[in-house]
Amino acid sequence: MSYNMENQQRTTLRKCLTECDKGAELKVVRVNAGHRAKRRLANLGIVPGSIIRKQRSAPFRGPLQLIVKGSSIVIGRGLADKVIVECRDDSCAF
Amino acid sequence: MENSLPIDESPTEKKFMKNYINIALAGNPNVGKSVIFNQLTGLSQTIGNWPGKTVEKKMGTLEFLGYKFNIIDLPGIYSLSTYSLEEIVSREYIVSEDIDIIINVIDATNLERNLFLTFQMLELKVPMILAINQMDILRKRNIELDFKKLEEIFKIPVLPVVAVHGKGVHELLEESIDMILRKQPHLHYTSNKGKHQHHSHHYHQMPEHHIKRHHTREFKKKEFKFPDLGEILHFGKEIEMRIQTLIEEMKPHKTYLKESNYPLRFLAIKLLEDDKEIKKIFKEKTDLSNILIVAKNLRKEIEEIHGEDIHTIISSEIYTNINSVIEKVVETKSRKDLKRKTLADHIDHLTTHSIFGYLILALVIFGIYAFTFTIGDYLGGLLDGLYSTWSEGIYQAFGEENLLVKFFWDGGVGGLFGGIGGVLVYVIPFFLCIELLQDSGYLPRAAFLMDRVMHVIGVHGKAIIPMILGFGCNVPACSGCRIMETVREKKISVALTSLIPCAAVLTVVMGLVGRYLGFFWVVLLFTINFSVVLLIGRILNKTMPGQCTELIMEMHEYRMPNFNVIMKQTWIRSKEFIFKAMPIIIVLGISLEILLLFRLLDPLNLILSPITVVWLGLPVITGVFLIYGILRKELTLVLLQIMASSLGLTLLELLNPLQMFIFSLVTMLYIPCFATIIVIAKQTNWKYALQVSFLEIFIAILLGGVLYWGFTFFSLLI
Repeated sequence: MSYNMENQQRTTLRKCLTECDKGAELKVVRVNAGHRAKRRLANLGIVPGSIIRKQRSAPFRGPLQLIVKGSSIVIGRGLADKVIVECRDDSCAF
Repeated sequence: MENSLPIDESPTEKKFMKNYINIALAGNPNVGKSVIFNQLTGLSQTIGNWPGKTVEKKMGTLEFLGYKFNIIDLPGIYSLSTYSLEEIVSREYIVSEDIDIIINVIDATNLERNLFLTFQMLELKVPMILAINQMDILRKRNIELDFKKLEEIFKIPVLPVVAVHGKGVHELLEESIDMILRKQPHLHYTSNKGKHQHHSHHYHQMPEHHIKRHHTREFKKKEFKFPDLGEILHFGKEIEMRIQTLIEEMKPHKTYLKESNYPLRFLAIKLLEDDKEIKKIFKEKTDLSNILIVAKNLRKEIEEIHGEDIHTIISSEIYTNINSVIEKVVETKSRKDLKRKTLADHIDHLTTHSIFGYLILALVIFGIYAFTFTIGDYLGGLLDGLYSTWSEGIYQAFGEENLLVKFFWDGGVGGLFGGIGGVLVYVIPFFLCIELLQDSGYLPRAAFLMDRVMHVIGVHGKAIIPMILGFGCNVPACSGCRIMETVREKKISVALTSLIPCAAVLTVVMGLVGRYLGFFWVVLLFTINFSVVLLIGRILNKTMPGQCTELIMEMHEYRMPNFNVIMKQTWIRSKEFIFKAMPIIIVLGISLEILLLFRLLDPLNLILSPITVVWLGLPVITGVFLIYGILRKELTLVLLQIMASSLGLTLLELLNPLQMFIFSLVTMLYIPCFATIIVIAKQTNWKYALQVSFLEIFIAILLGGVLYWGFTFFSLLI
């Protein structure tokens, strides 16, 4: 019970994209990457406020596959570490 | 409406300025742009490069309704910022006078992201048509698009297309003619005339002379009446205000700025965005430089208000505008079968799996190898047989020592046969593999799986794509390195790709080591080769300035490869190869004959002998073979065989096992073949191409010698 409640509170916590669970629906809060990478992500629709879903991550700490505005985007793990997101549902327990 | 006639003459730059209607296809990567391009132009295409750039330029022509069209397939881009070369090339071309009409191809299943580019292009105020592709898939998903509303909103023609079936493709051309005649966009859904039917009718009845008069280049882009799209192309008040300020600043210099072909509003937005290419226009003139300072201050103000960088702010606002459009035009009827997994989903899951994914990747590489090798070897054998039969006839008729026969038959025709037999027979099946892999959408999966590993050698996952292709043939694989975003990554990946053992190298390895020494030694050779790739990757990663960028790419859904498209593309690519590479091969063949005739290669053997004989322990004659091998690597083996048979020996009698191993190793590594060197130079520069070549020569000689002496000492000890 208490664990569950704790979870509920934590769903609004901000964390890195890499920390979230597979399948989680997330809202982008901030992208702390360099200018160039930030630009490219923005062009693909990854800007603060956009809703993304974490589809899967490659084995051996590889890149992440995201669903952004209906298309599937792969970004390197180093970059995903710099994308701060907010969970939208309970799907991502801490 | 299938009366598209390919025109034989390919348009030169000047000609298509005059009496062609020039259409550019623009859009995101993988939206079906190329499919539309193929549907329209058929086989009358040319693939080249944009002047001075490593960006591929595809052009094709057709005749339709009495008009000549010149279609340009622009590279797929996501935005009009100047992040990549493709974006710079596209943007400059879209506004240039060379292009009359832009057809923006949009993937209906991915409307939101695709419209991002559309919204930016609308700011350029050029004659544009929206082609919404993949309508069939959208309908299958029970989603409807309101085309009437779309036209009302965008105030330009919006047409549904199913490119793979050729539906709606020629209507795009009708629409273009219409736009050129009217000098303004004409909307159908709103004008009660129904869809397009009236068009074809209308034009067919148009007398010939009437058409001719119009299609001379009276049409000027600047006279085109572009609708006011203020309703959808607007930003927040705080940004709009500042755009206006900048426009006011620019107005006194209007005539000068008009030369750039960009509208003032576009320039203002891009100045706020700190766009380097646009800033250049202002830097060229001293009295414009103060505008740059104004823009900088305005940009800082906006960034302060939002607490974000300008590009993020502008992108978010564009996406907000897109969303408001999408709300009005998209109607989802039911979502019931959205969750059902399709075959494509299952394949996707399997090919990205942490175990099966890698197994499949290995299988794919093996498949390319096996396919290219088997077909190439078979066809090559057939051609060789044909050549030797014909040669006998020629020799009997004219005599073997006849000089003309030597030059033109042995050199010219022999070179041509060698070129076809040795290279083309591998290149064609290989192109088939590439097209199949590209059309199905597999390659990004390999990049996804290998990203982590590739970081070790200083590049991100995408670099695996040219490397996989390198197993077939290094030449197109190296030009495939253009997909790498930065110069640093292009340089590293091009060098590594040139070290991947191609099908021709496999011929040598299998024909020598595989045949006489056994499979274990083949595996050993490959292990050494891949270790060298790793080592060079590490060295380049450490020594080259800059650092590894992160992978960012779109991973498309799997598609059923279209047989026709694949065959057509394979043919077009092969054609390009034949016309570009064959003359070089023939010339080189003749020149080699001359060298042989005057015994100029003998001294070369002597010069090389300290390396070949002393250091590597190979027979004297191999020096020349290795020189020949620069043209085509499998020549080293072919010549060796000829040599052996002329001496009445088998290969095993000519070379001892150690020599075979060393010879194969050196052939594998010693230099990229001639065509590959040229491609490396094109992708980077000549200096780098030569550096790579010398590095590889050095490594091959070093490794070969160390192994030779190592083995020799080892056997002495025993």
